[in-house]
Amino acid sequence: MGILRLSHVDVRVPDLDLATAYYTEVLGLLEVERTAGEVFLKCWDETDHHSLKLSYAPRVGLDLISFKVERDEDLASLESRVEAYGFPVRRTSRGEAVGQGESIRFETPSGQLMELVREVEKVGGLLPKVNPPPFPPQGLRGIAPPRIDHVLVTAEEVGEATRFYTDLLGFRLTEQLLDGNGHQIGVWLERSHSPHDLAVVTGANGGLHHFAFWLDDWDHVRKAADILAYNGVQIDVGPTRHGITRGNTIYFFDPLGTRNEVFTGGYRPDPDFPTITWTEDNIGRAIFYYEGELSERFMKVHT
Amino acid sequence: MGVLRLSHVEVRVPDLELATAYYTEVLGLLETGREAERVFLKCWDEHEHHSVMLRYAPTYGLEHMGFKVEDADDLEECERVVEKYGGQVTRHARGELAPGHGEAIRFDTPTGHRCELVHGMEKVGNLLPRTNPPPRPLGLVGIAPPRLDHIFVTAEDVEEGTRFFKLLGFRLTEQILADDGHQLATWLEVSHTPHDIALVTGPNGGLHHFAFWLDDWNDVRSAADTLAYHGVPIEVGPTRHGATRGYTVYFFDPAGNRNEMFTGGYWVDPDHEPVTWTEAEMGRAIFYYEGAVNQRFFTVHS
Repeated sequence: MGILRLSHVDVRVPDLDLATAYYTEVLGLLEVERTAGEVFLKCWDETDHHSLKLSYAPRVGLDLISFKVERDEDLASLESRVEAYGFPVRRTSRGEAVGQGESIRFETPSGQLMELVREVEKVGGLLPKVNPPPFPPQGLRGIAPPRIDHVLVTAEEVGEATRFYTDLLGFRLTEQLLDGNGHQIGVWLERSHSPHDLAVVTGANGGLHHFAFWLDDWDHVRKAADILAYNGVQIDVGPTRHGITRGNTIYFFDPLGTRNEVFTGGYRPDPDFPTITWTEDNIGRAIFYYEGELSERFMKVHT
Repeated sequence: MGVLRLSHVEVRVPDLELATAYYTEVLGLLETGREAERVFLKCWDEHEHHSVMLRYAPTYGLEHMGFKVEDADDLEECERVVEKYGGQVTRHARGELAPGHGEAIRFDTPTGHRCELVHGMEKVGNLLPRTNPPPRPLGLVGIAPPRLDHIFVTAEDVEEGTRFFKLLGFRLTEQILADDGHQLATWLEVSHTPHDIALVTGPNGGLHHFAFWLDDWNDVRSAADTLAYHGVPIEVGPTRHGATRGYTVYFFDPAGNRNEMFTGGYWVDPDHEPVTWTEAEMGRAIFYYEGAVNQRFFTVHS
């Protein structure tokens, strides 16, 4: 009941063909559908219509983050909670957005447009449902992650945003980074029994720090770095490990400047998982455990 | 809401000292409690008091399996479900069944297994601090899996067992169908993984194996090194499953209970369309690389 997991991220790109080429050839996502100004992409193991939407726009940026809910009635109950909080909610009807049914949309206190959706068109994975091989079909290009994993956004007031995501939407706090005064400067939130589906760090309201795709293991992370380097993609950080989430990671930028991540590892928090706290003097190890420090670029650059 | 995941297994062992030595030194679990006839163990990353209970008995096998529920009132709800099905349910107060144990209900499943649902087991913490923790503890011995993962039991009537677990909220992810269409084996989940419990055709009440989670294929290889070094009989693997897509190694504890180390798999939405394996492809369903299942794997259980 409630929110299940991240469904899709919609981003703006000033060059739709270049972005599509990168996401299909280098990341190895599959193009599901295309309109005049939009391209819909999914990972090979995803059965829902899309997990990434690219829209042509003169400037890069985040259009919305969309989470999948388990039941139809979750939309109504979460809608009334958000409205009671004083935030206007817009309903989109079936057919209004490509590949999905009814949804609700609202702006969050951290300034991102958020969508909750239950019914998504099933286009199927790449494997048969009878006697499937345990790996994707041969010949996939690029990194070919099986699925999208999480999104990290920026907010001026992380604490306020966190209360909205936890108290209203039911996200659970797995880890937090506190400054010397005890204020939250970063939070990691989950619904899917993973270390995070959504994270919020201090920065501009409405900003996107990165979105991440899941890889099966550290060896796949290493191979991803090979593919990125071969294609001349700018690697931001890694391969390395996070203190927060315990994940193994590489950060890099798509050709228009949106930060991507491939991620694996972590742990399985129960709903009663006791929150882990990181103190600001350990921020380096919290984010990059091997380096023990953060680069200026990682701290400042977002879209 | 409802059942969250596998909480613990209680297995019988005829030599409690030997079994404890194996589960702590070779598997690398931690001892959290001990009585005259029972030893309580947990994996390093688990927060609750125990995930494996060893019970002294003249024979081997499964004493009971326990699943964790999310809220205290899930126990009542599940109690109603089991009673409506015709099962007898007993209620147990916190701490009554074992040291550190939560409030629980127990009943027999139609597959002849003693099953428990538990809430509020004592939290003893994992081995890491809650402030600025390193990503793993150093100096663990043995394989040291972070947590228990799933259980695989045998049942005369897999279809009836599957129906029963679905009543408790489990969802079917994969099945092997015989040529006449009946279920030979089923994989069921509540935790968005390929399986928390699986059923395969065999005697009622039997334990095929229980499995611990490892982080990746390299850890499975390393586990095989540890097992071989200690002279533990490796039954199958390291290899890969068709069903669940997982990577695996199977082996036996000194009492003869089958253990597994498992990793991989996929994320499962509640509206996941189950995968079906046909009887002709059963070999690949179980062991994808070998494409065949040996007689021992089919017939030996505890």
